[in-house]
Amino acid sequence: MNNGAFDLLRVPLVGRLLQWRHARTLFQIPLLLLSVLMILHGFFGPSLAPKNLATTLSWVHFRGALVLILLVAGNFFCFACPFILVRDFARRFFRPVRNFPRFLRNKWISVSLLIAGLFVYELFDLWSSPWWTTLLIGFYFVAALIVDGFFKHASFCKFVCPIGQFNFLASTISPLEVKVRDQAVCTSCRTKDCIKGRRDPVSPLVVIQRGCELALFQPRKVGNMDCTFCLDCVQACPHDNVGILARVPASELTTDMMRSGVGIFSRRKDLATLSLLFVFGALLNAFAMVSPVYVVENWLAKMMNVTHEAPVLGVLFVFALVIEPVVLLGIAVWLTRFSTDKSPLSLLVRYSYSLVPLGFGIWLAHYSFHFLTGLYTFIPVMQSAAAELGWRFLGTPLWRLTGLPVSTVQGLEYGFILLGLFGSLLVSYRLAEEDAPVKPMRVFLPWAGIATILFAAAIWLLSQPMEMRGTMLGG
Amino acid sequence: MIARKKSLLFFLFLTLAVACQKTAKPPDIALQYEIAPQPARVGATTIDLKLTDKNGAPVGGARVELEGNMSHAGMGPVSVEAKEIQTGKYRGTLQLTMAGDWIVLVHVTLPDGQTLQRQIELSGVRND
Repeated sequence: MNNGAFDLLRVPLVGRLLQWRHARTLFQIPLLLLSVLMILHGFFGPSLAPKNLATTLSWVHFRGALVLILLVAGNFFCFACPFILVRDFARRFFRPVRNFPRFLRNKWISVSLLIAGLFVYELFDLWSSPWWTTLLIGFYFVAALIVDGFFKHASFCKFVCPIGQFNFLASTISPLEVKVRDQAVCTSCRTKDCIKGRRDPVSPLVVIQRGCELALFQPRKVGNMDCTFCLDCVQACPHDNVGILARVPASELTTDMMRSGVGIFSRRKDLATLSLLFVFGALLNAFAMVSPVYVVENWLAKMMNVTHEAPVLGVLFVFALVIEPVVLLGIAVWLTRFSTDKSPLSLLVRYSYSLVPLGFGIWLAHYSFHFLTGLYTFIPVMQSAAAELGWRFLGTPLWRLTGLPVSTVQGLEYGFILLGLFGSLLVSYRLAEEDAPVKPMRVFLPWAGIATILFAAAIWLLSQPMEMRGTMLGG
Repeated sequence: MIARKKSLLFFLFLTLAVACQKTAKPPDIALQYEIAPQPARVGATTIDLKLTDKNGAPVGGARVELEGNMSHAGMGPVSVEAKEIQTGKYRGTLQLTMAGDWIVLVHVTLPDGQTLQRQIELSGVRND
């Protein structure tokens, strides 16, 4: 039983709406229309980022809304993903027959794409270019079509999509989870429709309701990792036994049991690497927005005797995403190696997940800053876009509309990072209790120290004067 | 099926409407500018502009508006109307609110009602 936990699907109206067969499509259509609008404005609208819908909605509103929804609810962006709507439509004409190659069924492609994405974001200043932003949006649509055009199930979501991986990791902190209501019902279930789907009894080749495309078998599913909240399992379950239940955020990071479709966290080096990228990438991405980065870059450029940004960025990336994690986590592993019976590598993998709450706190602080300080900026951009088409019904663009004052938002940013630190400390303590039941502090303290160092770095970054620049060298 | 066709036609129309806007030939006016202080810093930044016609004669009596935008979306623009300090010479002071890359749009309305727009890049505005 779910012990009376809050179940979103039991909430009047909302629950009925989400359980409606076409609920996902209903949410996907507005996002698809918005994407089309962004693509059109990105290509044909003003080249100035603050006046273009592609850049404003992508870098200010989408990212901010995404992290805030992940914080208060769950992975509802993947639920409403417009790329998958187009993919589903295309699959009416092209049915893939191949399975995704076995050796690629991990997160290494996503890790590479995330690093590439972060690098390209800095190198080409994506935030300031409607054209590049539009290309990126287009890339997602095309990539989803190609990958899922060739391969069965949700291969793009599970193994490729960088936004999806970000959402999977962040949703481990979310308070809601798609989960079975009563395990006993699943035990007696013979059909397993939640994973197999349901076929037409008359024409067995016709699938009338698909099961989980991400290979998450509900009775053995643990947490939100790899769950797109598509609710196919909710639709498929003949016993109405799957809900969207409340749970303790980040609690899934403290367990290391076998997870359907995911495996055991402590054996997933790819997933641990993704988690570390999530954490250290958050710091790197925030670092690139503050004044000291330009001092460091100019110094590096001088040392390396280069004028192009790419090699300088490359060095920064290697330092932030390789050297820094290796050194910091290496120290923690070295300090804890004699307190448990685990090997250094398994310690490293296992405790990487404990930093995810802090990483999410940093992303949350960063993205919500842009979102809240630029909250209303979409209004004049929409007005201006309509005016460009000669449609004056939205009025003269109100360019004075911006958002909340920076001073107000800054307090919230510190709060988010503090919340992240708190989560990371709790997770690492729970893991330490399991690994060293007699003296958990011996294991906990080094990992708590690493989390505290990263926390201090994030707070220092936030207190730096922000500098929204694209021209790094010689500017 | 009909609904699908209708929505396809709508997007086709939208695409064409955006892509096929008429563009008037801009007036043949040259714009020179000077920015102080150099390099630009957060706070008051003065931009002096000089407008000349195709014969090099100063263009007086124009309405000149300066609009500073950051290169990043989500930031509000800062605007000021430049004053004519000498025939064909205009001065406006923008209050730059944040360090980083700024793009100043110069909106000019000539005495005969013709308009033109120029863009000035103000990269690397500093805090100190």
